[in-house]
Amino acid sequence: MTNIIEAISMNKKVELGKDNELHILKDVNLEIEEGEFVSVMGPSGSGKSTLLYNVSGMDRITSGSVKFKGREIGGLKEEELAKIRLKNMGFIFQDINLLKNLSLIDNVMFPALVSKDKDKKAGHQKAKKLLEMTGIEKLADHNITQASGGQLQRVGICRALINDPDIIFGDEPTGALDSKSTEEIMSILAEINKKGTTVMIVTHDVKVAAKTERILYMVDGNIVAQKKMRKYDAQHEDIKEREESIMKWLVENGF
Amino acid sequence: MFLKIIKNDFYRKKIITGTVFVFITMAVLLGASATNIVANLIQSMTELQERAVPADITQMHSGKYNQGEIDKFTEEQRENIEMQETMVLLTLDGSNIHFGKNQTMAGTVQDISFVVQNKKFDFILDLDNEKLDIKEGEVAVPIYFMEQYDLKIGDTITVKSGGDEKAFVISDYARDFEMNSSLTSSKRFVINQNDYDEMLEMQAGELEYLIEFKLNENGDSQAVQTAYIEAGLPANGPTVGGSIFLLFNAMSDAAVVMVIIFISILLIIIASLCIRLTFLATIDEDLREIGVMKAIGISKKDVKNVYLNKYRVMSVAAGIIGYLLSFVLVYLFNGNMRLYLSSDLSGNLKYLLSLIAPLFVYFMIVMYSKKILKRIDKISAVEALRSDIMERGKNRKYSFRLLTNKFFSTNIYMGLRDVWKRFKLYRLLFFIFVVCTFIVILPLNMYNTMNSPEFSTYMGIGKSDIRIDLRRTDTITEDFNKLQEELKNDSDIEKYAAYITSSYQVKNAEGSWDYMNIETGDFSVFPLNYLEGRAPKVEGEISLSYANASKDGLNKKVGDEVVVKVAGTAKTLKVSGIYQDITNGGKTAKANTSLSINEEAVLWYIVSMDVAQGVDIREKMDYYQNTYESAQINDIKEYTQQTLGNIIDQMTTIVIAGIAIAILIAVLITALFLKMLLSKDMSQIAIMRSVGLTSKNVKHQYMAGTLLVLTLGIIFGVLASNYLGEFLVSMAMSTMGAAKIELVNIAWQTWLLCPLALIVVVGYTISVCCKVTEEDDLSVVFKS
Repeated sequence: MTNIIEAISMNKKVELGKDNELHILKDVNLEIEEGEFVSVMGPSGSGKSTLLYNVSGMDRITSGSVKFKGREIGGLKEEELAKIRLKNMGFIFQDINLLKNLSLIDNVMFPALVSKDKDKKAGHQKAKKLLEMTGIEKLADHNITQASGGQLQRVGICRALINDPDIIFGDEPTGALDSKSTEEIMSILAEINKKGTTVMIVTHDVKVAAKTERILYMVDGNIVAQKKMRKYDAQHEDIKEREESIMKWLVENGF
Repeated sequence: MFLKIIKNDFYRKKIITGTVFVFITMAVLLGASATNIVANLIQSMTELQERAVPADITQMHSGKYNQGEIDKFTEEQRENIEMQETMVLLTLDGSNIHFGKNQTMAGTVQDISFVVQNKKFDFILDLDNEKLDIKEGEVAVPIYFMEQYDLKIGDTITVKSGGDEKAFVISDYARDFEMNSSLTSSKRFVINQNDYDEMLEMQAGELEYLIEFKLNENGDSQAVQTAYIEAGLPANGPTVGGSIFLLFNAMSDAAVVMVIIFISILLIIIASLCIRLTFLATIDEDLREIGVMKAIGISKKDVKNVYLNKYRVMSVAAGIIGYLLSFVLVYLFNGNMRLYLSSDLSGNLKYLLSLIAPLFVYFMIVMYSKKILKRIDKISAVEALRSDIMERGKNRKYSFRLLTNKFFSTNIYMGLRDVWKRFKLYRLLFFIFVVCTFIVILPLNMYNTMNSPEFSTYMGIGKSDIRIDLRRTDTITEDFNKLQEELKNDSDIEKYAAYITSSYQVKNAEGSWDYMNIETGDFSVFPLNYLEGRAPKVEGEISLSYANASKDGLNKKVGDEVVVKVAGTAKTLKVSGIYQDITNGGKTAKANTSLSINEEAVLWYIVSMDVAQGVDIREKMDYYQNTYESAQINDIKEYTQQTLGNIIDQMTTIVIAGIAIAILIAVLITALFLKMLLSKDMSQIAIMRSVGLTSKNVKHQYMAGTLLVLTLGIIFGVLASNYLGEFLVSMAMSTMGAAKIELVNIAWQTWLLCPLALIVVVGYTISVCCKVTEEDDLSVVFKS
């Protein structure tokens, strides 16, 4: 298997003011293989989200190296990074982050129109199909004020998928959802992963992490432990057991 | 504590606060300048009036007259008349006055006369407002000529008549209350009595009389005028009331004041809109703070005060700066006033009056801020902390789907549809662009109108290539006949028409007799645009100027009857039409040739002509000028330009100032607007960038939106200046006698040059200001 993401000695520092620098990521090394379903856990302020944003090129690392599909992205120009985000990556946020003045389906098809890979009609068809897949096709022409948080998060997922990305990043995608919605969103993500798309999410929730196949545990800007599991198979595996084993592992690592 | 919040707020929003501050300052600056100019105008006019003691009634007359009869009349009217004096004008043709290197004053449309200073009243003053006292061999030249011919003190002017000539050294400039303005068609040169007598001997020029009356404090001007005419005293020229001189003197400065006040009000509106925009743009951010303040128990009133104090502090500072700067600005504007009205404009009234502006602006701004801040009342602490309050309740039908876009790239389309979706936000910018276009195009149209041959319409004359004026020489009738004969045989002349203006008695609204100038001739040759009705065609018809037909004049409508005394018998004429005329105080009339001419009271002859195709107008003008030395030969444009004189100069200043102000406002507001819009949209921009848009893509969206607003603004601005502007100008000009001004609109200027200039300037501003920060980490925005 080839690595889709490879970070070596990655550092991220943020200047908060005069003589006040925050060292968030400290010499982090990380490899994510194509098709993997990875979750990042750790206490608040440990640098989970920062890790996500830095390996995705959304933020710029202070030193070290980050490669996406073997290509160094640390020093890329803004335009090239934007192009990678548009065509190869998808993002899902806790706050959903949809465009206010667009309907749900327009939010989904917007990246397709900008990328110009498909013609407009094909983009629209694809968006419709994705909404169908996530079960919200009836809301296609609604404004974002006319949908619930869970529904909006599905729109976010559809948007992330519209350009057939190689990887999807999720920053606590279920953080603001109830347990039923969380369940549904995680099933969708698992489904996507099954089809070959790499997924990397940050989460606080053991139930969410239990559905991924590798867990990175971060403390103070370092990945201090990793837990590798089989891909979760809902039909043949008891989720409770997975959750318990993760909990135990987390406690062992000082959670 | 509150001061600290204000200080922090200022540092946080430097550019926004700075721009609002600049607008408030500019509003105060212009407001204070306008009131300052008004104060100066009142003060200098009062002073000039006190020193010059102008006549309340001036009767012009040429030909025989008997002073004894006038003295008798004055005695009879003692209850009304305080003083009487007759000024004898030695009227010369401009071509007889030489100056510089072989130059003459032949080109002027003004009547030139040499006079000796009056003894009792209607004094002509020097630039220090002292009574002119001219020594032998010297002359004081009117300011109008000093400007037109660039005459300097110490220069020599020579009067030539027949074989004789007399030289004068210019010792002073004459500030003449009654005849300062270019709108008054006569100008007086002041000389010494001995020189005057010598000129009489030389038989240079014609004699004309100004029979002037100074009334008692409560003297009845109308009664004196009626009694004068009833007494059959000499009166074959126009009668002019004192108020006309006052109006003419104040006209050009008053126009400037009106424009400045107008711009100042606009600036107050702009400043208010900026405050609103600031509030709208930062409310999401501020709401949290308001919520926190409310949550920790600070009262509504105190919360409001935090915000209000910011604008209070700003208004006070802007008020002080604007007030002080206004004294510098006024100096630039009142050059005309210093020259024509008073060189010394010191006086205390202006310091007090200009204080009105900063106080007014302060209260306007504070009141407006209070109104906006009322929203705070409606926000509970919890709501405020949850924020996004501005976004709620938007369940409008979805329009402008991305799929329906057929013509534009997705980013351009996003920009355009944003204007539609958030027009409330963009409307400030739209309003500003309308205003900017308006203040460029309207003065430009006015300037073009004044400079166009069509302006003759408002001066009661039809459009022709050349106009020849014959006035007051011994050979006037002879010349007139000879000229007509020559024109008849001149194949270069396509058509011509001769007009005779003479003075007639006309029955006024009260039933007594007034004098009125009536021009007779064939008015179908050079047709004039009529407000109502048409030109007099047949016997028994008369057309009246707008001012003459108005309530202040004869109060007549088309179809009404006017009684005119011709050669002793009263004739009833029917009003065939009403036209516009700003010359001769606006009160003129026209009648068909069939109305007999009052031979004794002929004032002037005019011949209008069009040259045949291919004939050089200039050459033709030179030919007739050489043949008829005493005639004034002008092309129509020249004629209107000289009559409007410094009003056109003032207009040029206003056009330039308008362009400068428009550009300044457009650039500042566009920059401010974009800055605020971008900061308001920070999270939406971050979302777009996170899905793969480059900063350039985002920039294109905002550029498309702003340029759309600009284009709409320009279109509405041009339409507004063409329609609303025309209405405003007509309203202002109706006091002068022109009630329906049609602005000349030069298409390539209004629809191409000005819009293009605005688009280039604003476009550049947009491309500079529309910088989406690239360096920041995107996550910073999401986390904030």
